[in-house]
Amino acid sequence: MSSGIARYIATRAVASIITVLGAVILTFVLTHLLAPNPAHIWAGPHASASEIAAITKEYHLNQPIQIQLYYYIIDLFTFNFGMSPFFKQPVSQLILVYYPRTLILIAIAMFISIIIGIYSGAFAAVRQDKFGDGIVRVAYLLTWSTPPFLVALFFQYLFSYYAGWLPSGQLADPSLKVPPFVTPILPLNAIIFGDWGFLSSYIVHSILPVIALTAISFGIITRITRSSMLETMKLDFIRTQIMKGTKMSKVVYSNAVKNSLIPVVTVISLLFSFLIVGSLVIEEVFSYTGMGYLVTQALYNYDYPTLIGSIFVIALSVILINFVTDVVYAFIDPRIRMGER
Amino acid sequence: MALSTTWAFLKRMMRNPYSAIGTVIMILFFGWAIIEGILRYLGPALGFSNAGYLLLPYNPFSFNLSQSLVSPSLSHLFGTDSLGRDLFSRVLYSIPIDAAISVIVVGGGIVVGGVVGLTAGYYGKGVDQVNMRVTDLFLAFPALVLAMVIEYTIGRSILYATISLIVVWWPVYARLFRSEALRIKNMRFVDSAILSGLSRMQVIRRHFVRPALNTIMSYATVDLGNVILTYSILSFLGLGIPPPEPELGSMVSDGLSYFPQNWWWAILPGVVIVLIVVGAALFGDGVRDYLAGE
Repeated sequence: MSSGIARYIATRAVASIITVLGAVILTFVLTHLLAPNPAHIWAGPHASASEIAAITKEYHLNQPIQIQLYYYIIDLFTFNFGMSPFFKQPVSQLILVYYPRTLILIAIAMFISIIIGIYSGAFAAVRQDKFGDGIVRVAYLLTWSTPPFLVALFFQYLFSYYAGWLPSGQLADPSLKVPPFVTPILPLNAIIFGDWGFLSSYIVHSILPVIALTAISFGIITRITRSSMLETMKLDFIRTQIMKGTKMSKVVYSNAVKNSLIPVVTVISLLFSFLIVGSLVIEEVFSYTGMGYLVTQALYNYDYPTLIGSIFVIALSVILINFVTDVVYAFIDPRIRMGER
Repeated sequence: MALSTTWAFLKRMMRNPYSAIGTVIMILFFGWAIIEGILRYLGPALGFSNAGYLLLPYNPFSFNLSQSLVSPSLSHLFGTDSLGRDLFSRVLYSIPIDAAISVIVVGGGIVVGGVVGLTAGYYGKGVDQVNMRVTDLFLAFPALVLAMVIEYTIGRSILYATISLIVVWWPVYARLFRSEALRIKNMRFVDSAILSGLSRMQVIRRHFVRPALNTIMSYATVDLGNVILTYSILSFLGLGIPPPEPELGSMVSDGLSYFPQNWWWAILPGVVIVLIVVGAALFGDGVRDYLAGE
């Protein structure tokens, strides 16, 4: 049994590494072969001739293509993404500052989405084709179909401009100074420096983006839980429970839900991709300075190194999450690791 | 024949209120797109340079600073922007582009994904491995993020936006086509087709492509809405058609700094996106039920 798991993990790991290498090659083809003029695009539109010459030399753009690929791979794996022409900082440093901020939002939103999604999915499945089911389905159809920026605007209006409960945007109160960078985790830095004012302001300012991210993503979980619950409710052990006279709510929310959790694991990486894309525009609406800010600023200011570094790190995260969920899945469901799928 | 099946199909779709809503939205959306598209692109060729504005309440490009930031009313259904341009006309003007992009991207995705997925499923083994590794690779990037970078690299324009979307759109279809091919491969009728002396291409075309397309049709209909949604995010981020051309996503982002005082600017074009996407989803569900019922 355990060797089955080990072998499964090993094959998944190899597949993930191949995908990472593929992602490297894909971005290389894009940046060095498809780009009409690589040196120009790396240097930005306003670069002088000498700057372009320097870029050409730095990125080895005047050398044969295989040499370029060699340096490219070395640089990517040492997380050397070059200097950002707009921020005037190393791209890896920028990512280290901005990415964790977004990851915190995404992690919290993911957690809440999964809880809401599982309960709303179970709620809908039990009332299949009845009124409650209809409401839940309309809700997730709407959240699926609404562009993230509109969802963000809706909550911004509701909680900030109309009710006045929450600030309308920014990472924290702009009059407060962001604590110095010690760890990549911003709230931890605030704690280290005992900056409680900043910490509480940061938490309050993060609530709206988390609500918006949760709203755009819980439908994925609702839908998969609903359909797997519909399957589970037909299984013998559930029917036995019902016939034995166990309270319906107990059957549904403790027995059936547990069995329906397995498929939820498989959509975690989809959920993550969805949240990353959502955070790009949601952070723009809330002027929240996270990864979305970094990517959109790079986009608006022709900052190519930052853009490529960011999407490479995002792709790495997706591949990593895919790998982890595959492994978790194998532990939960023995059929997978025995190759029965 | 074709007309009567269309009629039967529409009658069936109207029976369920949800798919009826979807059908009406889709007919309005594509109907308008075709009429406006013909006027705009054929009109100038026939010597009517303003044909594209004929059916619009106002010229979508003309400034009228005395009418700037007017809230929605009967004369300006969606209000006006800071330059006094009528937002309803601008929304109507942008629709043919969205319709064209959605059809081209889904169509392109089906063609590329079909070739990759069907060959993977049909030949199996090494071909399957290679094709599916490449597919997985593209799926490792969130679609919008990859499309954004591709378009940024090759150049910002409507054509490049469409190409970038196709590049990120086919992998899902490759997976769908592959699983269809795997399902069909072991069926008896494939063996009998081969035994009856049909060439390999004929077998693939008749017994793989056609049934697979049938299954994928309802997904593709829902997907039209997903393309419009994703494209609206691209244009929100400034990667759509350059201004002054109107675009649903870019209208929202232009209206952001006027929110919430002049809420209609950001909100109403966004609501139109929601309507179209919901319409495509409901219509797609209806198509699925219709095909399942056949």
